[in-house]
Amino acid sequence: MSKQKLFILALIIFPLLGYSQKNKSLLINEILILNDSNYIDDFGERNGWIEIFNASYAPVDIGGMYLTNDLQNPRKYKIPKGDPRTIIPPRSYIVFYANNKPTHGILHLNFELKNSKLVALFESNGKKLVDKMMIPADAKPDISYGRLEDGGTELGFLKKTTPKATNITEEKETSAEKFGKLDPFGIAMAIIAMSVVFSSLALLSLIFRNINKVYNLNIKAIFKRRREEEPQAEAQEEGIPGEVAAAIALALHMYQQQIHDNETTVLTIQRVSRLYSPWSSKIYGLRQTPR
Amino acid sequence: MIASESFIGFILEHLQQFFGYTAFANVTAGHLIMILVGLLFIYLAITKEYEPLLLVPIGFGIIVGNIPFYPGLKIGIYESGSVLNYLYFGVIQGVYPPLIFLGIGAMTDFSALLSNPRLILIGAAAQLGIFGAYMAALGLGFSPSEAGAIGIIGGADGPTAIFLSSKLAPDLMGAIAISAYSYMALVPVIQPPIMRLLTTPRERVIRMKPPRVVSKTEKIMFPILGMLLTTFIVPSGLPLLGMLFFGNLLKESGVTKRLADTAKGPLIDIVTILIGLTVGASTQATNFLNPKSIGIFALGAFSFMIATAGGVLFVKFINLFLKPENKINPLIGNAGVSAVPDSARVSQVIGLEYDKTNHLLMHAMGPNVAGVIGSAVAAGILLSFLA
Repeated sequence: MSKQKLFILALIIFPLLGYSQKNKSLLINEILILNDSNYIDDFGERNGWIEIFNASYAPVDIGGMYLTNDLQNPRKYKIPKGDPRTIIPPRSYIVFYANNKPTHGILHLNFELKNSKLVALFESNGKKLVDKMMIPADAKPDISYGRLEDGGTELGFLKKTTPKATNITEEKETSAEKFGKLDPFGIAMAIIAMSVVFSSLALLSLIFRNINKVYNLNIKAIFKRRREEEPQAEAQEEGIPGEVAAAIALALHMYQQQIHDNETTVLTIQRVSRLYSPWSSKIYGLRQTPR
Repeated sequence: MIASESFIGFILEHLQQFFGYTAFANVTAGHLIMILVGLLFIYLAITKEYEPLLLVPIGFGIIVGNIPFYPGLKIGIYESGSVLNYLYFGVIQGVYPPLIFLGIGAMTDFSALLSNPRLILIGAAAQLGIFGAYMAALGLGFSPSEAGAIGIIGGADGPTAIFLSSKLAPDLMGAIAISAYSYMALVPVIQPPIMRLLTTPRERVIRMKPPRVVSKTEKIMFPILGMLLTTFIVPSGLPLLGMLFFGNLLKESGVTKRLADTAKGPLIDIVTILIGLTVGASTQATNFLNPKSIGIFALGAFSFMIATAGGVLFVKFINLFLKPENKINPLIGNAGVSAVPDSARVSQVIGLEYDKTNHLLMHAMGPNVAGVIGSAVAAGILLSFLA
């Protein structure tokens, strides 16, 4: 394949990769189906809501994508484009109110969750499903349902409703604290870490012990040498004594040494140039001579 | 009369107020102790030439950081919005250490290591100091994150110590950095007794095979393969390892001489000035003089000793499996710590004491530069487990 073709192919593939990556990072994170005394929207009303989480480390604009509660009608609610609120910052959230009042603003959907079986997010082509969440039949008022950890796969009723915030409400042990508990004397750490340091440097050592063999491997030269060896073998069979062969080898060696001594007498001189800078030039500090 | 009285009163009142702003009014014994420490560093750097490029900026930084002042004037390094605080940003956020690694990469010749890749393993063995100090720090009651940050002192690598402590234990960074740099400067004092203790007279005079010539291709491939391999295993070491190998590629490629010259010249000089001064200034007596700092200094010395012993003993161990003509002189084991080139120089000096014609410097440079890689890998491991 020519370089030009490869370049064109790369131009086509890379944006597609970026596109799919962008949408993989969007997840329906938490939903509240029945809202009696919970989160209030910007009109002072209590509605069901849907929280979408951007799991990536880059902002994602969900303008142009679709939210629906019916897989047969994926284009039920189009999230308007061009509003800065549809840009979800990295590892952050956006909440849509499922109140069937789309006239209240772009964050208010044209359906409710009460009688829905699912909620789904579709890409801007209205065909490809980005994420969906089944609505549990036994939903209770003011208790939200969603991913037990942001972006995780395990679903369930959450202990606290957390619109626009992480679903993890229990204080988690840091990995350092876990290490401290499980390995109070640091022995495991020392063993693991020293093994990793040793294995990575041993691998490096191994590679560089053998790498010169790999790149010095000149296949053509090997074949050439073999072809040359064949007549030599025949000559030996014809009866050239070993002493003669040794004398020839010595003569050749001495000849090579002499060649080495007659090195070319080309001198390499590094050019030293003073770099020009207007900051240090006196010319620029002087006034021009009047004409 | 009344007017003159009130005028004098006004002057006295403002003189008193001015005095309240001076260092004399705010000085404490701690400040004076730290100023003396700073002066000691400068003295050691100038008269004894112990790591002057580091100890002069750090020593002066200690004095700068311990000039007493009235708080709230945006002067101190810990006061948000002060100039020193802006400069300190590069330390807190771990910006300076990777830039220093870029320069180190650009000035390091890895041919000693490539000519005898077996010596890389000594650089791994000497990292034992890091984990020995980690265990000791846990034993002394430090938290695992603090212990990890303290342990890295054993790597004998200032930038790595600053980088890791800024992530794991920012409160202890000043003490850790000062400890790491102080012991790096004291390598010629700490290492020789341990080397003598752990080696026999016969081992000290082992002659090693002269290093082979390393081709340009090998030198170019080393930073690329080294980077890929080490960062695939420990991605958390990427800021340090990536910059180290990048700097080395600039040097070895032969086509980026200007960039390599900048990295190993003006850039590393600028960053060294900034890191030295701000790390020194971060040792304000109010934050620095506490039992934890003393503990860190003790653990730092311990980790250097363990690292040296680890390298020497490892060489003795692998010598058990080597043919007599391939044996390694255990006096280069100490060079597995990444204090480049001081620890390699110690190997050379001690080696010459026992055999005037046995030059170990080139052999010791192999484990020495491997130690830089090893300590960065170890820092990456600690970061991935404890951050």
